[in-house]
Amino acid sequence: MNTPATTQPKQRTDAAAALRKRMGDNLVAIGERKDEVAFADIYSYYGGRVKSFLMGKGMNEEIAEELTQEIMITVWRRAESYDPAKAAASTWLFTIARNRRIDYLRGNSRIEVELDDEMLDLDNTESDSQEKFVDDEQAAVRLNKALEKLPHEQRQVMHLSYFRGQSHGAIAKWLDLPIGTVKSRIRLAMQAVRVSLQSDGGNLP
Amino acid sequence: MRVSHHLTDETLQDYSVGSLSAPMETLVACHLTVCQHCRDRAVLADQIGGELFDKFEPVSLSQTSEQLIKQAALSSPIHAPKTEQSSTRTFKDVPKPLARFLSAELDELDWRRIAPGIKQVNLSEQHRSLGAFKLLHLAPGVVLSAHSHSDRELTYVVKGSYQDEIGRFKAGDIADLDGEVAHQPVVDTDEPCIALIASHSPVKYNGLFGKIMQPFVGI
Repeated sequence: MNTPATTQPKQRTDAAAALRKRMGDNLVAIGERKDEVAFADIYSYYGGRVKSFLMGKGMNEEIAEELTQEIMITVWRRAESYDPAKAAASTWLFTIARNRRIDYLRGNSRIEVELDDEMLDLDNTESDSQEKFVDDEQAAVRLNKALEKLPHEQRQVMHLSYFRGQSHGAIAKWLDLPIGTVKSRIRLAMQAVRVSLQSDGGNLP
Repeated sequence: MRVSHHLTDETLQDYSVGSLSAPMETLVACHLTVCQHCRDRAVLADQIGGELFDKFEPVSLSQTSEQLIKQAALSSPIHAPKTEQSSTRTFKDVPKPLARFLSAELDELDWRRIAPGIKQVNLSEQHRSLGAFKLLHLAPGVVLSAHSHSDRELTYVVKGSYQDEIGRFKAGDIADLDGEVAHQPVVDTDEPCIALIASHSPVKYNGLFGKIMQPFVGI
């Protein structure tokens, strides 16, 4: 969305793949040997985005700066728990920033599923489920293409939902649309991404 | 546990964004505990968040990376958000995200009788006009009043089962209902049904009996 208009789709997706690899390598380097150069690269790319995310979600600049520093220190400390086979660096960063924001707002941690829970419905579980999310550069290219193919109105609500406003209801007010329309655009966007990942050789749910 | 009713994409996306209330998050996490299908879709929602993150316009920062590394060396870890969850007690039939709100096994909880065949444990301190977060214990044969909500209502079946206009809901299933849907759940086996409920807004009952009951049941 802030990509220069002259860039061709092919170049954009190549760039997405290269960026994903570079940032994943950076996190691994920090995790393995506290690589300060790798951290500087992560920080200069994601630091400003984390802060922008927090401010877009309604935080004032002072608190956003403070939380961004905490989040980036968390990245520095916990990089060894990052597994490049499970998530892209961007996804890992996004979830840390999101969780820290919720902790701050609520004074309590986000309620998440424990992945090793023995109550998991095994009948309903495909054995290759983990492989569906193997993070390689091709996955970045496919997801990037799938998002670019979304109609403008769907991309707009997705962007607003992830990076602005508080809820689907707030987005509805902002765009002066019924909340049902916002929800159905989100639903259609999620379905379209899944369909286009499947038709593109991926194997997502 | 065989799951047949799942979360909607818009609820999973809202969960990924972090816009759900703690009660709603609990219901989503309970279902994700037992459902790989929805876990996979939740992961996709996080991946989309990460991918859009890359397209995001950065703002300037006041610190350098070297300053942060120095700061990290000086201070102890700021917080450990996982500890509260991992130290939670476990109870029979209760997914861990719900267990953190309970003090005893399901049958030892302080159930309050609110109507014939209906008992509840309120899990939220807030006034019911702000929505509900509670466990309901429904005796076999109980029929709830037909109702709808002006916003989202999530119901996670902890134990037993019920049937309504949408289908049959068993342990592990989640009913992810939008404001438009009116339904009338009926407990359809000899076993009581225990359900966890969260809503953003009070219910709207359809019949006169329901309207009279509303202040008492408050679901």
